[in-house]
Amino acid sequence: MIRGTLALIVALALAGPAMAHRVNVFASVQDGKAGEEVVVEAKFSTGRIPALGEVRVEDAGGAVLATYPLEDGAARFPLDRESAAGGLSITVRTDDDHEGYWLLTPADLDPGS
Amino acid sequence: MFRLALLLLLAATPAAAHYGMIIPSDPMLAQEEGRSVDLTISFSHPFEEDGMILERPEAFTVTHDGETAGLLGDLSEATVMDEPGYTLTHELERPGTHVFAMTPVPYWEPAEDAFIQHFTKTYVSAYGDDEGWDAELGLRTEIVPLSKPFGLWAGNVFQGIVHLEGDPVPYAEVEVEFYNVGQQTSAPSELMITQTIKADADGVFTYAAPSAGWWGFAALNTAPETMDQDGEAKAVELGAVIWVHFEAWQ
Repeated sequence: MIRGTLALIVALALAGPAMAHRVNVFASVQDGKAGEEVVVEAKFSTGRIPALGEVRVEDAGGAVLATYPLEDGAARFPLDRESAAGGLSITVRTDDDHEGYWLLTPADLDPGS
Repeated sequence: MFRLALLLLLAATPAAAHYGMIIPSDPMLAQEEGRSVDLTISFSHPFEEDGMILERPEAFTVTHDGETAGLLGDLSEATVMDEPGYTLTHELERPGTHVFAMTPVPYWEPAEDAFIQHFTKTYVSAYGDDEGWDAELGLRTEIVPLSKPFGLWAGNVFQGIVHLEGDPVPYAEVEVEFYNVGQQTSAPSELMITQTIKADADGVFTYAAPSAGWWGFAALNTAPETMDQDGEAKAVELGAVIWVHFEAWQ
């Protein structure tokens, strides 16, 4: 009975409004020491920074190119222009299961073009 | 004969208030909607869509994350409500709230026997991030938002504090007017083209917008200094104007 009640509480908590702590994701191309890199930034709608999480990078066809750890709301990885030619979908999933994404479009990769 | 002409002239003068206007193409830009906003900048009677001449402003700026950049050189001359105004396309490079502000040159208004200078601003949120929505720019006179100046449903209240020279203005008078695009609505009385409310003792005012669209709030005060017009010292009306968009309930 107690176990059932706990399961119900957990289920209700998981079904709770994720929007209350939406995670906003932004990514941009910057010049790094070793060349161009994509800088990923994540923060909750409250303004707080997620401590830990995972960044999943997909190409325009939805193929997963890589995953990276998110630390203190940020991650960075080298820009491979060939695989990014059609744009990149960058999804952040925080350790407490909040998810958000940023679409790095071809135009974002070539500002001013 | 002279009296009749004067009466006709007065009757033809719009009952609406003057407003500096900065109207963005989108008050909440989502990443799927692009990376820039188009701004339309004018000096007008917004309810009646009756334009006036907007001279090149003294300043036009954008403030984001505490940094202010000048955009005066980026303004393009345009015709807005049949009168000279400006347009601007501005890229929103980062998430957060971008505040656009205009300091116009004082406008001589013979009908009011005074100069008018409306410090005008509007807030645009980029990419789902509203940080900075309550930013105070430090304008000479300014409405500092207490409600988010975007993301409001029609029927919600908008609250702000009227500041003049950095301090709240007790019982400040605030004029409220709807940007009546396409003359979509009409007022049952001239008194309702521009509604007038007052702030409380702390300079805080509250208004519930009855319909979706752009609503302009103008807090009006008189400057301590005067300006010269034809050799006479004339009063200067300082307006703190903010444009707020209310969304239709879906």
